[in-house]
Amino acid sequence: MTDVYGRVIDTCAHPMIAPMTSLASTWGALSDLGRSALDWFAGWGRIILFSAKLLVLAFSPSSYRGPNLAALARHLVKDTAPILLWFTLLTSIISLVIIHIVVVTSVSYGLSRFALEMVVRVLVLELIPLTAAMFVALRCALPNAAEIAVLRGRGVFDGTSANRAEPLQREILPRVVSGTFSVLLLAAVSCVVAAALAYVWVHGFTAGGIASYTRTFGRVFSPALSLIFTLKTLGLSLAVGLIPIASVLYDRPNPRLRASAELRGLVRLFFMILLIEIASLVGNYV
Amino acid sequence: MNDEPTPGSPTSESLAFRAALLVGLLVLLFAASAAYLLYARGVFEPSQRLVLLSDDAEGVTVGMDLTFAGFPIGRVRGIELSADGTTRIIIDVPRKDARWLRESSVFTLTRGLVGNTNLRAFSGVLSDPPLPEGAERRVLVGDATAEIPRLVSETRDLIRNLTQLTSADSALAATLGNVQSASEKIKGPRGALGVLFGNDADAQKLVVTLDRTNALLARIDGLAAKADQQVFGAEGLMPEARATIVQLNAALLEARESLKKIDAILVDAQAIAGNARAASNDLSALRAEIDANLRKVSGMIDEVNRRWPFAKPAEIKLP
Repeated sequence: MTDVYGRVIDTCAHPMIAPMTSLASTWGALSDLGRSALDWFAGWGRIILFSAKLLVLAFSPSSYRGPNLAALARHLVKDTAPILLWFTLLTSIISLVIIHIVVVTSVSYGLSRFALEMVVRVLVLELIPLTAAMFVALRCALPNAAEIAVLRGRGVFDGTSANRAEPLQREILPRVVSGTFSVLLLAAVSCVVAAALAYVWVHGFTAGGIASYTRTFGRVFSPALSLIFTLKTLGLSLAVGLIPIASVLYDRPNPRLRASAELRGLVRLFFMILLIEIASLVGNYV
Repeated sequence: MNDEPTPGSPTSESLAFRAALLVGLLVLLFAASAAYLLYARGVFEPSQRLVLLSDDAEGVTVGMDLTFAGFPIGRVRGIELSADGTTRIIIDVPRKDARWLRESSVFTLTRGLVGNTNLRAFSGVLSDPPLPEGAERRVLVGDATAEIPRLVSETRDLIRNLTQLTSADSALAATLGNVQSASEKIKGPRGALGVLFGNDADAQKLVVTLDRTNALLARIDGLAAKADQQVFGAEGLMPEARATIVQLNAALLEARESLKKIDAILVDAQAIAGNARAASNDLSALRAEIDANLRKVSGMIDEVNRRWPFAKPAEIKLP
């Protein structure tokens, strides 16, 4: 038998006082659970406050002047340019496989006229934004969060300087903006490429199907669905840009947890991505 | 993690240019996607409104197409319920496609078996006036699933009939049994005749009748040969008839000569009659002269009598 921390409890060693020990350990477990829940909510609260502060800074013109602009440009290029081509190639291959599966299955069931609509819904609306968010999170956001953790360890954000806008504008905002930008650009490029591949796969290299394809696109992207798609992509990109960095910056060290601040930030990020996806699916299909 | 540029790293201008390129690419993609979506939704296309009225708009969704001959020519913009409970399906038809809709166009709403619903337009007379802006038309609803209960019922009846037909005591089984016995009879010594008459006695009668008919035909052949001899033989009826006809021709020639003579006599008689008519005319003139002479003689006698002394007065005594 193990307790809530995974430690083995020997129930046969002291049979006479076992009930009292069990009661104390249950109370302690409940207390730890409540403390963990409070910490969890407090962490989310700090992340939300930090995100609001960064959004304000992001809309401030002073964040895009002088060295801040140079830092932003450097992070934009460093976080986006190396992965743009590879991610586009990767999603193109995956898109071709999915397009082939969907089209062949639709034709075999006599539902070929729904194939393009299904491809657009599956790829453009659902898979590609999610894949872009995950890819950027693992490729850019987590390394950026690790860098911030190192800077924090050096005391760059300690004392009064942590409350000033300058370190935020120079060190944190460029990383957040570059992560957000990277998700948006990767998702946009991949969606366009996947849509073009779907057209070529179904109609071939001819312009004869453009009218019906455009009509299918128009039918799929109703105003409500377009709004949900835009909000979802924006939410994913903001989550990828903000949560890992906010998590390492504002998470208090907890000796009881074996996971690092970056890993906890990744868990938080996946949790938020899951929430956004569920909200998007509910909005689109319920 | 250090934001200061390291030796060998791109210059800040180059980085700024590449960052601007990336931002420009994103802005371009966003703008192009938004423009394409607006175009695909028909925002830039002038359209006219068409309202289809139906009792039930189940399956109709906003954004679905109105098709004509398989081509989408319109799009559902909205569905609303009117005050009288009728559903109003509001459709935007682009101006360039509105020419396919006429006053006499018919609109149908069909629901497939897998849940797909289709709005279709049919224009039989394309020379009719075009459909006006905001026209309201009744849509004909055809539901494929509504036919399923009737189809199942008819299928059940069909299966019941088939079961009855194929049962052991059915008419079909009895008929097949009869066919089998008939085929066995056909294979028997009497063949198909036995099947036709049902018993051997009647079949035998038919065979006897055929034999007698053959004998009768043989006798008729003999009679025909004899009649031929009598009619067309050397001393038959036909040579004698031919000689008689020759004689008749000769008699007719003689009669023709006699008639010519009679014609001449008649001509003479006609001339005599003409002479007699002329003599009759002369006799009339002679009689007139005699009558005149007699009147003169009578007058002269009367004059003599008057002058004569013994003449008596001429008087007439009435009774």
